[in-house]
Amino acid sequence: MDKHRKYRYIMAFALLAACVLFFFILNICMGSVEISLSEMMRVWKGQSGTETLRRILWDIRMPRAAAVLILGGALALAGYLLQTFFHNPIAGPFVLGISSGAKMTVALVMIFLMGKTIRVTSADMIAAAFAGALLSMGFVLLLSRRVKGMSMLVVCGVIIGYICSAVTELVVTFADDADIINLHNWSRGSFSGMTWENVEVMTAVVAMTVLFVFWIAKPLGAYQMGDVYAANVGVNLKLLRVCIVIFSSMLSACIVAFAGPVSFVGIAVPHLVKKLFGTAEPLLMIPACFLGGSTFCLFCDLLARTMLAPTELSISTVTAIFGAPVVLWIMVRKKVDKHH
Amino acid sequence: MKQYYFTTQKMCVGYENKPLIKDVEITLEKGEILTLIGPNGAGKSTVLKSVAGQLALLGGTVYLGESAVSEMRGNELAKKMSVVFTQKVRAELKTCRDVAATGRYPYTGRFGVLSKDDWRIVDEVMELTHVTDIAGQNFEKVSDGQKQRVMLARALCQEPEIIVLDEPTSYLDIRYKLAFLSILKEMRQKRNLTVIMSLHELELAKIISDKILCLKGEYVERYGTPEKIFETDFIRRLYGMENDGFMQDERFCAYIRQLSTI
Repeated sequence: MDKHRKYRYIMAFALLAACVLFFFILNICMGSVEISLSEMMRVWKGQSGTETLRRILWDIRMPRAAAVLILGGALALAGYLLQTFFHNPIAGPFVLGISSGAKMTVALVMIFLMGKTIRVTSADMIAAAFAGALLSMGFVLLLSRRVKGMSMLVVCGVIIGYICSAVTELVVTFADDADIINLHNWSRGSFSGMTWENVEVMTAVVAMTVLFVFWIAKPLGAYQMGDVYAANVGVNLKLLRVCIVIFSSMLSACIVAFAGPVSFVGIAVPHLVKKLFGTAEPLLMIPACFLGGSTFCLFCDLLARTMLAPTELSISTVTAIFGAPVVLWIMVRKKVDKHH
Repeated sequence: MKQYYFTTQKMCVGYENKPLIKDVEITLEKGEILTLIGPNGAGKSTVLKSVAGQLALLGGTVYLGESAVSEMRGNELAKKMSVVFTQKVRAELKTCRDVAATGRYPYTGRFGVLSKDDWRIVDEVMELTHVTDIAGQNFEKVSDGQKQRVMLARALCQEPEIIVLDEPTSYLDIRYKLAFLSILKEMRQKRNLTVIMSLHELELAKIISDKILCLKGEYVERYGTPEKIFETDFIRRLYGMENDGFMQDERFCAYIRQLSTI
């Protein structure tokens, strides 16, 4: 039994890693300028290629693909943490209004700082998004004490999301014309315009948070069983809850700060990954969800860029097309399970 | 003074500062079985939760040996006391063996990976609780009775000195009720396990317990050996059946009398 399991885990990890690599390369090669694999390798080694080609590869596509890889992973992991926290398979940063909360504070800070012609740094954005994410999370937590049942919690989250989006729309309407174009693209969710500076900052923040998440993998596993049994084996529930809230908010904030709100990845990916591995064990799920999120977002961003080129779709449009059906499937299946 | 393994002193339990039961005094030696009985809503579960340190005491102290439970560290307590409660167990994509193995938590390292020895203990305990045959099955798909035995295996994997169970036999048929209780008895003989549990089945409480605690109202109604508890008419008073119309039926009366004779 155990040998069979180990084999399955290794195969699943190998599959995910291969997918990440495959889509990463496709993201770099495909686009308005097609680059063949051999050409890419030559430019990489600096043997040939025009200056333009090098620019496209090195300054545009590489940082973008790297950002998608990191943020996609972070998003799926945030979803996994929230689902574990609420014991709710359809929880995620987007449906619980956490992304929208982060979006709101980022928009406010951006407009405020731009109005004073102060340059907005990556760190400012993350800090603003983190504050917004925690604010929304606080509301959701307050509501979760009052409402029972997984669907009601999600409804509350969606409403919080709407309120935050309305506030965002309001401030964007009053902002200067020049800012709007920037804000508008971002507030719909997009991975475009990533720089290496962005990638460096997000790598540092996400890597650190993921390490912390690994650090709570063991109590997280006990927490999945329910409060009574987690407490019985010696888990400090209060401390663990605070940790999950902070880590998931940090991950969600990071995505919103750089790419805006991205829908459904947080719910769909952990679910698919659990099915692939046949386990919900945190120690396996943490890296697996990360790789799964990277794969899913690299795939979706590729479509967003190329499907209607030269027009670029917002990333949420694509993730919703592939992610939303999974969510529906989860909900329908839950009902079926209850009846049997 | 005699040295007891488990004691409560002036324990007061309840929710949100509203005391439900006051001045609970329990003394148990190592390897004794204590059963809580009493009508529905008398606070049996509340007492058990408080004893297990999952509900803050409103007053008094619970001692395990020399040390107060409230002052023990989580991991330290987890190695001494385990629970089987009635709350729904979440076990997404877990086999019965996985669920039992979660009891090894206090003994594993930073990442909670079980060693070969840990797995050996899990398998031994599963053998003991008669769930080896369903080890590989999905926990959420097995019957309630099987789940209950897997949860007992989980608790025993913690290698506790004392185990606290809330109505552990409720979902079991008569055969498994007896099998379940005989496992507890076996554990007592083999490992000197102390047991605190609540039961609805009075006739079983009578034959398995060393001590019985009767709960009714704000105070402990009675505490002592089964002989002392099952006196004529006490059961009728404990459950408030003196004036019930159905007690006119001679056969019901005979059933209650039968319970009361040792």
